[in-house]
Amino acid sequence: MNPNASQPLSPLQPKADNRWFTFLVADRCFAVDVSLVSEVLRNAALSRVPLAAPALAGLLNLRGRIVPVIDLRIRFGFSTYDRDKPRTNVVVEYCNEWYSLLVDDLLDVVTLEPHEMGTPSSERGNPQIDAVSGVLAAADSLIHFLDLERVFQPLLTSKTRGLAVG
Amino acid sequence: MAENEEFIAEFLIEAIENLDQLDQDLVALENDPSNPDRLASIFRTVHTIKGTCGFFGFSKLGSLTHHGEHLLGLLRDGSLSFDDQLASLLLDMTDAIRVILGSIESTREEGSDDFADLCHRLDAAVAGTPTIAQAEDTGPSDHPSATDQPDIQTPPSDVPSATPPPPESSDGQATDAAPPPQVGEPQVSESTAENQPAELPAAAAPSKPKASPPPETPLPRPSAAAESTIRVDISLLDTIVDLVGELVLARNQLRSTAEDNPALTSAVNRIHTVTGELQEAAMQTRMASIDQLFSKFPRIVRDVSATCGKQVELSVDGADTELDRTLIEKIRDPLTHLIRNAIDHGIEQPSARVAAGKPTAGQLSLRAFHESGQVTIEVADDGGGISVEMIRSKAIARGLVTTAQAETMSAERILQFIFEPGFSTAETVSSISGRGVGMDVVRTNIESIGGTVDISSKPGEGTVVRVRIPLTLAIIPALIVTAGGERLAIPQPYVQELVALRDTKGGNRIEGLEGAPILRLRDRLIPVVYLDRWLGLRTWESRPTTGTVVIVQVDDHEFGLVVDAVSTANQQQTATSESVGLWFIVVKPIGSLLAPLGIYSGATVMGDGGVVLILDLRGIALATDIPSRVHENAGVTLQAEEDQTAFSTQNAARYLACETYSSRRIAVQLTDIIRLETFPHGDISHTGSQYYVKRDGHLLPLLDPDQMTGTTRIQESLEASPSLVAVIVTTPTGSVALAVKRILDVDAAESDQVEHSKQPGLLGTLLLGGLATDEIDVSVALKNFPQSHAS
Repeated sequence: MNPNASQPLSPLQPKADNRWFTFLVADRCFAVDVSLVSEVLRNAALSRVPLAAPALAGLLNLRGRIVPVIDLRIRFGFSTYDRDKPRTNVVVEYCNEWYSLLVDDLLDVVTLEPHEMGTPSSERGNPQIDAVSGVLAAADSLIHFLDLERVFQPLLTSKTRGLAVG
Repeated sequence: MAENEEFIAEFLIEAIENLDQLDQDLVALENDPSNPDRLASIFRTVHTIKGTCGFFGFSKLGSLTHHGEHLLGLLRDGSLSFDDQLASLLLDMTDAIRVILGSIESTREEGSDDFADLCHRLDAAVAGTPTIAQAEDTGPSDHPSATDQPDIQTPPSDVPSATPPPPESSDGQATDAAPPPQVGEPQVSESTAENQPAELPAAAAPSKPKASPPPETPLPRPSAAAESTIRVDISLLDTIVDLVGELVLARNQLRSTAEDNPALTSAVNRIHTVTGELQEAAMQTRMASIDQLFSKFPRIVRDVSATCGKQVELSVDGADTELDRTLIEKIRDPLTHLIRNAIDHGIEQPSARVAAGKPTAGQLSLRAFHESGQVTIEVADDGGGISVEMIRSKAIARGLVTTAQAETMSAERILQFIFEPGFSTAETVSSISGRGVGMDVVRTNIESIGGTVDISSKPGEGTVVRVRIPLTLAIIPALIVTAGGERLAIPQPYVQELVALRDTKGGNRIEGLEGAPILRLRDRLIPVVYLDRWLGLRTWESRPTTGTVVIVQVDDHEFGLVVDAVSTANQQQTATSESVGLWFIVVKPIGSLLAPLGIYSGATVMGDGGVVLILDLRGIALATDIPSRVHENAGVTLQAEEDQTAFSTQNAARYLACETYSSRRIAVQLTDIIRLETFPHGDISHTGSQYYVKRDGHLLPLLDPDQMTGTTRIQESLEASPSLVAVIVTTPTGSVALAVKRILDVDAAESDQVEHSKQPGLLGTLLLGGLATDEIDVSVALKNFPQSHAS
């Protein structure tokens, strides 16, 4: 299932910056820097976290390390997924902690030139994708580049103050 | 220069450590100038840095430390006496050294700052002594030239040392001025060095990075202790600790499966013991004493109080308390901010303090200690304190809470608003703190490591800020409970007892003072939280009648958590565990996403791979406002009831029965009651014949139920007893306190028949607890109250 991403036009730079890990969420293609991705799990069992923000789908047990899972569909305001369909966890590292992004399906690791990226246009739809730092028009799809900091920031400040008593 | 890289890195690490020591020593010396050991220690530190930078060609640093060393030598020998100005000067020098080191760290160059001015000042201080008057002539050749020349010409040390210092020609006189114990040496080195003024490291190579101490002060050097330690990369330690954690989990699984197999038992037991010890040792590698953090604070306190124009005395307790080293870094900034805050906003100006009868110098105390699996750090000041009322008003004004909600909150809960972003109540925003960006960041930082922070304060007396941090990778005993179908863990040290909910008479019951359920346990009233409903896991209309209440105690507050069941530990019987149902779990941190929720203190992985969240009982108590609910029930006891009327009248309205001062039984609908409270005399006031009671800064009308029927005896009862029991009732127009002699019981109406009485203020009479009881019409009471306010 390859999106028709651009062909690599020039030799890879020494850093991994030009290699992007892509995946599908709600039929849209997203990309993160491949150097941030540590592993991928399919159909992992999640434990619930009562009273957490809706986007926090649960916790993953990754060989003893407890990793919070963020459902990107909910985080970006898309409709929720059919419960029966399997989903994939993309485990990333951010600020010395591990998080897992819950996505619909995996796509390829592609190599792209940074200068090809444009800024996200809001009239293209999906103004709620506040975490996208750039888009790139590929052959038949639009690749949205995720800024992990912006993905996580709103979740890091949510609290549950003012809970009902009793 | 690649080979140098390693040496430079090591130089930086040691130099920075030395600078911290310098700060401490200088501040301590300021308080006790007569201590010769400290002075010698300070001298050695500067001397060491000076020697080392010669090796690398850091000429600015070398020159700066040379001047500092010169000054320090005179101080050490008694030619100069130490005073505040010198202290400030030397601290400035320390800061300058830090700047240069910072530059070296990032660019391997000394940076473009020029410290000639500082060197001038150091020299000027030196020149201030009569015995050095001669040296002043040589002065000009000393400083500017030293800083100008790019090569290493560390001007001479007129101080005795074992290392031959590099050269400069003109300081014979300076040497004479300071009486060195070993007169012979400097001259020897001078002559040799004189030949090579422009030579770089080669000439200075004989300067060893570590100078040995001047022999006249044989203090044990820190390096003596340091020889039994080595430096290890922290990530390597982290790996070891993680692996040990995994091992512990695997061991637990092994134990449970091997139980059935006697052949394996002895080997498994051995593994159990060894793993336990390995785990303790691994934890030790991560532990560091908090002293490395606390030792920086004397300097900060000194600087901040000087800037604020206040006098502050710092006392530190528990600096040897240990916690995970990664946590120490993370609490550095929050603690620094709290200290600045205490000095800037807490402690008053000296004149104000004297006027208030306090000692001129404010007391700032920093305490650290272990407490039930956590490390607690307290920052306490004896300053002006924080007004709960002011915080409450501000919170309401900012729309953070409604007036009605704010009224029901405890003082502790109100003070938590200080941590909301932008909340500063400081009148003037100072450059140090008070911009309103501080406290919320403090809370966020502390919570991100799974800790909590709270404030308590007495206006006029002072404030205490308490930071609690969990110890990571601890193995703790816990109860595993299920609520709403989810497994949760409750740390065992807090658990007092377990009580089964029963739905038959004779058992323990939960009464629903609306919104704030209470368990009646023997003759105590304990607030409870229904975990399944509170966590949003399950909804129900009428209270469940089966389940277990886990009674816990946190910080003197007792409350209960209602759960479906408590797991028995049939798989985890260990020799040391005496209670059934106790699990030993490895606490894993839950990370920055979950910590801010405030109700989970960690998580653990069970033998079946499932993740179970560990409840943070303090957080839950705070979120459900337990402290105020507990307070209200203190001193109120219910009559123990031997016999219940049929619980089947669940649909009947439930009432609180009380006895009034004229010994009449009255009843108030539970749904109208906010809480029960006991008030001391001081809280009761009156204008004319209207009584008021002061509650959290508000005035509530205080009514005698008998008053509504024509009699009142509040005055007499006030004289008769030291405090007054009141039932606080809510009505659409506001709250009212009903004064009663005592609270009798909570009951369902036994008869559905309510006779509507013609007496104003009474809704009728009903049968409650087998006795006729008058039901009070609270809204009438309010209407008749001449100046009732909606508060």
